[in-house]
This record gives sequence, structure tokens and C-alpha cells, in this order.
Amino acid sequence: MLVEQVGALGHPILRQRFSGAGAECRVGQDLDCDIVVDDEHAAAQHALLTLLEDGRVRVQDLGTHNGTRVGGKRVPPDGTVIEQGEIIVGHTRLHVRTRHTPIGQERVFRREFVQKYRTPLAAGGVAACIAYAGFRQWLNAPSSLSRSLITGTLITLGVLALWTALWSLMTKLNKGRWEVRVHLTIASMGAAFCAWGYWVGGLVAYAAQWSVLAQVGVVVVGATAFVALYLHLREATRYGRHIALAFAGASTIVISAIAWVIAVGVDTSDVNRMDLGPDVRLETRRVVPNRDIAEYLIEVDRLQRAAGRERQKSLLDAPLADAGD
Amino acid sequence: MKTIGLFIALACLSIRATDSTAQTAGAADRAERLPPPAETPAVPSPTDEQQRPPGEETIDEAAIEAEIAAQELSGEAQVRLDAARDSVVQIQGFFEGSESSAFHGSGFAVEDGRRIVTNYHVVAQAVMYPQQYRLKYLASDGREGPLHVLAIDVRNDLAIVAADDLELPPLKLRPDIPAQGERAWSIGFPLNLGLTITEGVANGLVENRIAERIHYTGAINGGMSGGPALDRRGRVYGVNVSVVTNRQLVGFIVPAKHIPALLARAGEPLEKQFSALQLRQRVTTQVLAYESEVLEAEPSGADTQPVRGFVLPTEITPYVECSTFDERGPHVRVRVEVISCRVPSQLSVQSGVPVAGLTMQHRIVRSAGLSPLQFERQVNDVAAETPRTGQPAHVAPFACHDGLVSLDGFDARISTCVRQYRLFAELYDFSVTVVSIDDETQALVSRLSLQGVAFDSGERILKRYLGALQWKP
Repeated sequence: MLVEQVGALGHPILRQRFSGAGAECRVGQDLDCDIVVDDEHAAAQHALLTLLEDGRVRVQDLGTHNGTRVGGKRVPPDGTVIEQGEIIVGHTRLHVRTRHTPIGQERVFRREFVQKYRTPLAAGGVAACIAYAGFRQWLNAPSSLSRSLITGTLITLGVLALWTALWSLMTKLNKGRWEVRVHLTIASMGAAFCAWGYWVGGLVAYAAQWSVLAQVGVVVVGATAFVALYLHLREATRYGRHIALAFAGASTIVISAIAWVIAVGVDTSDVNRMDLGPDVRLETRRVVPNRDIAEYLIEVDRLQRAAGRERQKSLLDAPLADAGD
Repeated sequence: MKTIGLFIALACLSIRATDSTAQTAGAADRAERLPPPAETPAVPSPTDEQQRPPGEETIDEAAIEAEIAAQELSGEAQVRLDAARDSVVQIQGFFEGSESSAFHGSGFAVEDGRRIVTNYHVVAQAVMYPQQYRLKYLASDGREGPLHVLAIDVRNDLAIVAADDLELPPLKLRPDIPAQGERAWSIGFPLNLGLTITEGVANGLVENRIAERIHYTGAINGGMSGGPALDRRGRVYGVNVSVVTNRQLVGFIVPAKHIPALLARAGEPLEKQFSALQLRQRVTTQVLAYESEVLEAEPSGADTQPVRGFVLPTEITPYVECSTFDERGPHVRVRVEVISCRVPSQLSVQSGVPVAGLTMQHRIVRSAGLSPLQFERQVNDVAAETPRTGQPAHVAPFACHDGLVSLDGFDARISTCVRQYRLFAELYDFSVTVVSIDDETQALVSRLSLQGVAFDSGERILKRYLGALQWKP
């Protein structure tokens, strides 16, 4: 029986081997324990692991208030028998392996569906990305569809390869094919969802003619990117929840800042920048009834005040050189 | 339909000498200007003699050149220049304590010889920023001293300035307009090159322009602004004001008949009478009076032009000049026809800030076999090409409002953007973009831009413009 104590980053910080039927391993804060955990949520004598004759391990909780969890479930009073798995004592994670444990490269996925459907998910995500890139290409530079698709595919594959390679390098899991596939699955799903979502967001904004929707769309894209990154870290790396949250949050902020600089430009006080509103859609059935000119002009009338505010801001920013008053 | 091409590059003459090379060149020229120019071509100098290759005959040539020079001396230009030399001064503007001039122009003495007439745009910086800029005159005899602005007429681009102790021989004014074809001369200090006279022909008043200008076919260059335009008898019929750049010898002169009224107003120096804020308000009032007259005037007949089913306004005010042309679209399968109309702005509140201008561009964008989605993308691209005319020093950023609006016969997205001038709170720029959304093979992208107008007046012009757009297949 091999017991590993896992640190906050998901990496083993302590390993201990126990052999022989009946070998016991006590876990707790007490110095008498075989594995001493420095965890205020753990009891002095918290859990007892016993190696059975058949090579499996019995896990027992020693009547603690917080209990002991195996694979996310609380251990019943009479204990539970496992071949391998994750045991949580207080806030400390322990990994237990026995000789029955198949030691493959593949580690336990936190979510079953990713494990089960990773191939179709990866294929679907990549296809969605390619479709979006091809569509954009066709839309912006009107040329034949096949050519657009080829260009779009190349762009997509380039972006996905970059993403996957970067993550593989960062997580140092670039040994096997399956890790690459996990990275690719989540990367492609995330990218496709962001891209299509952004375009669909524009359509919705037009339909409602509500400019704020475009901004809501940007927020949604940002949130999607954040979730994709978080899932990526949780599913495909050994990082814990807090590290994953921090990492995903920081990355989202950096990506948003770059996107913002590209889209808006650094100079927010550009006096020639006009916000024309949502793009027009020709021949679309309109959702919102049109206004007549008089109604529109009433709204234009309010622009005087808005322009005045812009001037005040501009004067605060850069006072007149020689106002003389 | 008048072509606007000629006026596209209309630019004020006042050229700021900013680089140091221009400054040093100018200083050298002032030194050279002192000996009478008539002497220069008269006799070949010894240096010329030495440079001549040996063997070439030299004796007769000197005599011939002297003869030519004598003929030139008796030329009218020489007479005009000599008569006016002492009446003309160079006006220089200096930034704070700087020794080299920030801008310069010309001026000339009238009435009792104590008042000097020049262009408003020559002294505009000093009027707007009295604590930053000071004015100085430089007379032909080398005297120099500070100048004060006594009166301004923004609309006719005229100003009266005076110095405390300066009295020059005045020039006489001619109140009427010279006949077309009459010989004329312009005097000034072009590009800081010293006192210069150019000869040309007066071509009468320019037609279809609200601000009266005499068309002068002759060279006018930056720095000659404010200089006198003389007729055959040496009388001043106008003041040099502007030139069409990149064209040959098309200059404009403000008629002299506007000078007496301004002289009557000239009293104490403006800076003693008014605060900077009051001065700006006076300038704004003059601009707005001009603007409402030019831009808000009802056109004689509602002039429209039918293009591919759309009926588009061309003359929404009088004085509009339009042209129609093909434009290269953003993609080879997109065709763009443009009707471009404008009322050229002839008014500057300070240099580089033209106001009371109107531009209107209708673009008919047509698809040549593009799918509706692709075409839509192209139309949005055409609409997004917004003009970049403002400078951060002069205007605040735009505030915009957009919406779907039912116009006469078609629906459109209208985006209105308005920005205010930093120095002149009553002046606004409008930029309105109309994009039709009814047809997936053809779209109208129309833009109305107003420069330096009152907000109410802008709204009224916008209403007139939107009301005139029509779909009538």
C-alpha cells in the first residue's frame, strides 16, 4: 500500500509504503500517527487505513466530527474497502494505491463525461472552430467557399496547436497522447463557444437594437473564457481549486486587456472615434418596431448634454492652455 | 452642378514657420531686403564675371542686361511696390518668451496711418490666447514694436491692429470691385522671404459663395495674408486672404468695402476691453451669425438627385457644391457610387479650426453577386469609414446615439455623433450616418457632417436632411 499526501498544487509532498497483511496506517495530528497531518480540521486520531489480506485497503473513520471522505463520499462507521482512491482527512488529501491498482498514465478525471466522450468532444470542438474561422473568412473577404475553408482551417489549427502546446508545456504532462487530447478538447470547446457566441451576440444586439447588449456579449465571452480556462486547469492538470481559480482569473484579465487594447485602442480620448451602434443586418425581419424621425430627433436632443459631459471630461483631462478665465 | 474639386484644397495662407531652417532663412532674408531690389539686376556683379567660363564674350552682354533691367524698372510692378513699400508691415506672432516667430503675415496702414489692416486668421492665435502669444510689427525701415488688436471681423477674415508709436503713409481704399480682367497686384511677405509683389488679374467676385471673395489669378503664398491687393492706380481693392493649394494661381481677396465698417468699430485694444472669455463669445457670436445665414438658409428650390431608386438631397442649403463619381469599393465585387456635396468652410476661429462647414456624402453600395451576409459585411465596412477631421486640442470626443428609424419609403439605421469644441462651448460638430436596411443587393450609406455649428442649428439641418432622403423606385 502506497500512501501519498498531496499538496495544494496537486503534487505529492510525502510518500509512505506499508507492506504485509494487517499493516496499519494511522492518520491524524498526533505525533503518534504514521502520517502526521498539519491540518487544523483533522482530529488527533482521524482515520485508520488497514491493508487487508487480499491486498485491498480498509478505510475507517475514528469517530471524528468532520469525518473522512473517500472518493467524495463520507466513510460509513464500519469503514469502506478500496483498491485505490483519494482520501480526504480534514482538508488534507491522501492518495492510496495498492498492488491491484493499475498504474497507467491516465489519472482519474474529475468529470466522467470528459473521460467518456473526450474523442467526440475534441472532434466536435475542433470542427466548430474550423467552421467559425471558415465562416469569418468567407464573410470578410468574399472569395470561394473552398478557399475560405482552407484558410480558416489553417488559422484554426494554428491557434489550437498553440493553445494545446502551451498548456502541455505548462502542465508538464506532454508525455502521452491522451493529455494532448484532453487539452485539445477543452481548448477547442472553449474557443468555439467564445467565437460563435460573440457573433451570435452581435445578431441578438441587432435584433434588439440595444447597444448595451454588445457589451453584455463581451462580458459573456469573458466569462466563457474564464470557465474554459478553469475547467482546463481542473480537468487536465493537478492544480487545486484555488490555484486554478487564480490562474484562470489572471489569464482572463490578461486576455481581456489584450483584446481591449486591440479593439478599442489605447487612446480612449480619440476625438474622431464614433460609436455607430450594432452592425446593420439587411433584409432581416425586425424585432423592434422602428421609430419615426421625430421620435429619433428627441433622442438626438439629449446628445447636447452628453457632448457637454465629454467636453467637461476632456477639459479635466487636459485643461485649456490659456483659458484666461 | 459645380465641381468641388477646386475648393477641396482651399487652405488659409497663414503658414506657421515651425522648423528652424525656415527661421534662419527668414532672418537672412530680412537682411537682404534692405537694399532696393531694383539695383540687383541692373549691373552684373564682379563675382558673376569671374564665374563665367573663359572665352565667352562679355562686353556686349552687360549692356544688354542693363537695358533689360531699365525696362523692368519702368514696369508697373516696380512702381506699385515702391509706392506701397513704406505702408506695408510684416506681422509676427511669438509664443511666450520665444525669439523666433510662431506665425507671420502681412498688414498695411490705412486712414490716418495709425491703423493697420490685416486678416483675422493672422492674429487669431493672439486673440484667442492673449497670455501665450504676442504680436510684433516689422516695418520696411527696420522699426519694430508690439501690436494690439483693435477690432476683428471673423466673417470677412479681417482685423484692425495698431502700435502705440507707429505712423505709416496710409494706402487709399477702393470700395468697388475691380472689373474682370483688370490688372492687379498683391503685396506681402510670402514664406518669410521678404517684401514681395506679384502681378496678376482680378477676376471679379466668386460666384455662389456666401462670403464675398474676389478671385485673383496670380501668386499668393503663405505669409502674404493680410497684405494689400492693389489696382492700377495704387488703391487697395482688397486684402489677400487665401489660395487654393496644389492648383495654379487661384487666389482669393477680401473686398476692401468691408474695411471702413471695421475701422469705425476699432477703438481701444480688445485685450483691454474684454476678458478672454468675452472675446471668445464675441467670436462665437460672429461665427453663429454667419453659420445660420449660410447653412440654415432655405434653398431656392429643393434640389434632389435620383440615383438607383433613391432620391437624395443635394442642395439642402444654398451654396452647396456637388460632384458625382465612382469610388473603388472595399472589395472588387462591391460597386460604390458617390454623390459628394459640401459648403466649404471659409471661416476659421483659429488657425486649423475651420467652422461653419457642411459635408454630405451619399454612397450607393451595390453588390455584384455577393451573398447577402457577405454584402452586409461590406456595407458595414463602408459605413464604418468615418472621417478623422478633429484635433484633440480643439474638440472633445464624440457622444453618439443610434437607432432604427423609418424614413420616407425605407428604413435605416441612423447614428448621430456630436462633439463640442473645447474652447467654444457653443460650437458643435455633427456627424450623422444613415444606412438603409431594406435591400440585400443595394444599400445607401449617407453621411452628413457639420463643422462648428450651434446645436439647435445642427438639429434643424439634420431634420431637413433626414426629411429629404427618399426611396422612390
